[in-house]
Amino acid sequence: MEIPSMDRRELFFRDIERGDIVIGRISSIREFGFFMVLICLGSGIMRDISHLEITALCPLRDVPSHSNHGDPLSYYQTGDIIRAGIKDIDRYHEKLAVSLCSSSLPPHLSGIKLGVITSEELPLYYRRSVELNSNSLESYENIMESSLGFVNPGVVEFLLEKLGIDETNPPSLMRGLQSKNFSEEDFASALRKKQSASWALKCVKIGVDYFKVGRHVDAMNEYNKALEIDKQNVEALVARGALYATKGSLNKAIEDFELALENCPTHRNARKYLCQTLVERGGQLEEEEKFLNAESYYKKALALDETFKEAEEALQKLHKYMQVILYFLLEIECCVN
Amino acid sequence: QPQLARVHFRVTRFIMEAGVKLGMQSIPIATACTIYHKFFCEINLEAYDLYLVAMSSIYLAGKVEEQHLRTRDIINVSHRYFNPSSEPLELDSRFWELRDSIVQCELLMLRVLRFQVSFQHPHKYLLHYLISLKNWLNRYSWQRTPISVTAWALLRDSYHGGLCLRFQAQHLAVAVLYLALQVYGVEVPAEGEAQKPWWQVFSDDLTKPIIDNIVSDLIQIYAMDTEIP
Repeated sequence: MEIPSMDRRELFFRDIERGDIVIGRISSIREFGFFMVLICLGSGIMRDISHLEITALCPLRDVPSHSNHGDPLSYYQTGDIIRAGIKDIDRYHEKLAVSLCSSSLPPHLSGIKLGVITSEELPLYYRRSVELNSNSLESYENIMESSLGFVNPGVVEFLLEKLGIDETNPPSLMRGLQSKNFSEEDFASALRKKQSASWALKCVKIGVDYFKVGRHVDAMNEYNKALEIDKQNVEALVARGALYATKGSLNKAIEDFELALENCPTHRNARKYLCQTLVERGGQLEEEEKFLNAESYYKKALALDETFKEAEEALQKLHKYMQVILYFLLEIECCVN
Repeated sequence: QPQLARVHFRVTRFIMEAGVKLGMQSIPIATACTIYHKFFCEINLEAYDLYLVAMSSIYLAGKVEEQHLRTRDIINVSHRYFNPSSEPLELDSRFWELRDSIVQCELLMLRVLRFQVSFQHPHKYLLHYLISLKNWLNRYSWQRTPISVTAWALLRDSYHGGLCLRFQAQHLAVAVLYLALQVYGVEVPAEGEAQKPWWQVFSDDLTKPIIDNIVSDLIQIYAMDTEIP
């Protein structure tokens, strides 16, 4: 913008805050501290201030010592590039005091290293500014367009976040486009969900019709189709579970019923069929003499529906049987002893 | 022709609303609107169903900007837009016909536009300008006024008209920033003392008359918003 230095100085002293990071070059070292001429800013407002000839003082007490003995200042030389934190500002007299202690920085910047830095560590914007000033043929636009960041596909997202613009609730100055007035139900994802459930239900109905006339393979196809459209469709799961149970694949049936019940805990048929199948499976396990396993199935069924008589009866019968066996075992033991 | 502008306003409004409901980002929506506007520069209005062209623009833009959309979602959102509170469409022949027409229209549009459907949008430029300006403004002034969000909103809204076809991307970006600052009465520091206006720093070949043209077009678009119910 080619603004006179005086105005830029004024603005600098208006806008600078304690805790901002500044970068400068040591111009002279005294017993009480060192002076540095500021080059640019490292946080907050990023500006190139190298032409403003602003000097800051870093007092001795704000220079951390690098060894156990000797003068902390002996570590530094004129011409060193220093990164420091602003400690005190006298805006009226345009005086600045800086510190090399990390305590002068705000918490979110406390990880940044203060002290001597190399010219590679100078901020990118400053290096670009130097390029711009040294070559009168260069322009903001040229430097921007040739920078790596500009062509990076992620740059838009990155800058949106940096500026605090939210794309999920896009802003508009049009009355009709205030997204907060849009109903959630009109959004694509909500519509798709509703539609999937409806399409899946159609398949289930066809499947149930096949099932009723004994065309089990066709029915299974329809149920699987439905579940492909709508993975957690309750009706499809219950129907498929019933089909599995009929064919004897009790474990698969139980899986389907349990998933259905998870999605819709109030589904009567899901609960009913699940209980029945659990008991049936329990019976199978009893036949295989896996009594404890069987017991857990009966108990599970009762946990789902405490009024389920068959489960109650089966459990009691099993317990009696187990008692009888225990009795016999004890008897045999006594006889042996 | 104000009548024509009104018609396009309505249809681009549809594109923008559908875009939001489809979860589209600003740039793909901008691409969709640009494709739509460009198409009707070449083609006579009466020969085509404007909303079908709009839907295909959305579909095409999703592909171009790598934010792929399913035709099913576009159809669902559009159907609901025209038939509020209706039940979702069934998977019947009508649905497949709708889908076919979108895909056919897409191919037609690509051919009319000679397959040139990739554009340089103002958005990226605007974001860079905002960052630069942010460092120049006093940080409290910046925090107090929603300049970024307003400029972004102005840019988004500009696609109701064909500004994207008439002006350079950088110029549009600067102009919306200019307008956003004006709206909040924010002065760029030391504007009076500067040799070069801030907006010319961002874009060398920009002139004040161009900015004024863009701003006046933008205001006309907002005026249309109040006239159309």
